[in-house]
Amino acid sequence: MAEAASPNSPSLAEQYFVKEKEEKTDAGPKPTEFKEVENPKEAATQEAAVEKTVEAVDEKAVEETPTASEESSEATPPAEEQSTDPTSDAPEVSSDAVTEQSSGNTEEENVGDQVSAQETPEIKLETAPADFRFPTTNQSRHCFTRYVEYHRCVAAKGDGAPECDKFAKYYRSLCPGEWVDRWNEQRENGTFPGPL
Amino acid sequence: MKSKWLFLTIAPCDAAEPWQLGFQDAATPMMQGIIDLHHDIFFFLILILVFVSRILVRALWHFHYPKNPIPQRIVHGTTIEILRTIFPSIIPMFIAIPSFALLYSMDEVVVDPAITIKAIGHQWYRTYEYSDYNSSDEQSLTFDSYTIPEDDLELGQSRLLEVDNRVVVPAKTHLRIIVTPADVPHSWAVPSLGVKCDAVPGRLNQISISVQREGVYYGQCSEICGTNHAFTPIVVEAVPSKDYGSRVSNQLIPQTTGEAEAEMKE
Repeated sequence: MAEAASPNSPSLAEQYFVKEKEEKTDAGPKPTEFKEVENPKEAATQEAAVEKTVEAVDEKAVEETPTASEESSEATPPAEEQSTDPTSDAPEVSSDAVTEQSSGNTEEENVGDQVSAQETPEIKLETAPADFRFPTTNQSRHCFTRYVEYHRCVAAKGDGAPECDKFAKYYRSLCPGEWVDRWNEQRENGTFPGPL
Repeated sequence: MKSKWLFLTIAPCDAAEPWQLGFQDAATPMMQGIIDLHHDIFFFLILILVFVSRILVRALWHFHYPKNPIPQRIVHGTTIEILRTIFPSIIPMFIAIPSFALLYSMDEVVVDPAITIKAIGHQWYRTYEYSDYNSSDEQSLTFDSYTIPEDDLELGQSRLLEVDNRVVVPAKTHLRIIVTPADVPHSWAVPSLGVKCDAVPGRLNQISISVQREGVYYGQCSEICGTNHAFTPIVVEAVPSKDYGSRVSNQLIPQTTGEAEAEMKE
């Protein structure tokens, strides 16, 4: 319901924003991703954010609030991860690329991504989304939380679980390399201060 | 062109110039807002200046002692006291409303950023990390940005403002800049972008900017960070977003292949 409503009536921020981002609320990959978001909830290993956004969407289905746009951005990566098998890969990744790229070079990116979706991730302009848990200028805890989330995810799902990749991407985007190295060292020594 | 007609050109000014009194030209909505607020406040400032000067000069003129040796003894006036209490309390309101509106809108992250760049201050250089494209904890695109010494400057380059490696960002894209130092407090400030963010050890400060036009923007460290504080400039180069993609992949691929070759040798 929310997915159907949000593209028709975009929020104020979306209305004022340049075109390529607006396509983010595309109805295309939405049903699959909704299902995908609930899976970790059943496994009870995911952090509160995903659950909260899912609940928020259920409650405020029609009204377009910042949570609606937050939800769309928060929930987009799972759809992409879910399609790790090459058969369903090409269409979904290319649609993702369209949303991320500027309209000028969409076509060449499209072709490039269909040919080699995994080899050229550097072209894709995407990063950790704005997180409503960390609305302040100080993002230290955002970085730390993403790092902890990734390692809890790996602990629960096993090494190389595809649903953990987005957390890895997020913490690598947010944390300085020096911090990550230090924390990796602390984890090896068993002195990491966070809840792992 | 004769240099005296140079002021007629409309090339935007994105670096400091000698004896500059005004702002550098805005390249982000944030800086535009700052300039507009400055002009808004200046309206009230000049109003107050004219009014207060008039009262002062008038008082000096009329109560000058040869002209008026015995001052009048007015000790009370209800009307004027009400007026001079009410009006000065309304004027700050007119200044505060646009000021707070700008302050909070600068803080707000309206849309999800497309790129995160980490600006890490060191004594006395800057490291920039582009980690969105990493596939492991190894940094794939990181570089240091040092100032160009005065002796190595080429004709046309600005003294103490040029660096060897510029920060390349796409124009018209929402950027998240994470500012942090590795040693002492630094600051990441670029006037044309309307950005001045202190880098505090152990803390990641986020600024959200969207550069509206391509260009090269200059800034300097704005927090005393040691002896070479004056020699840690910032240069941001905004390129069209399609050029940014190719630029990043060009910088990425040699590094990753280099790593692969190094692994092969091992």
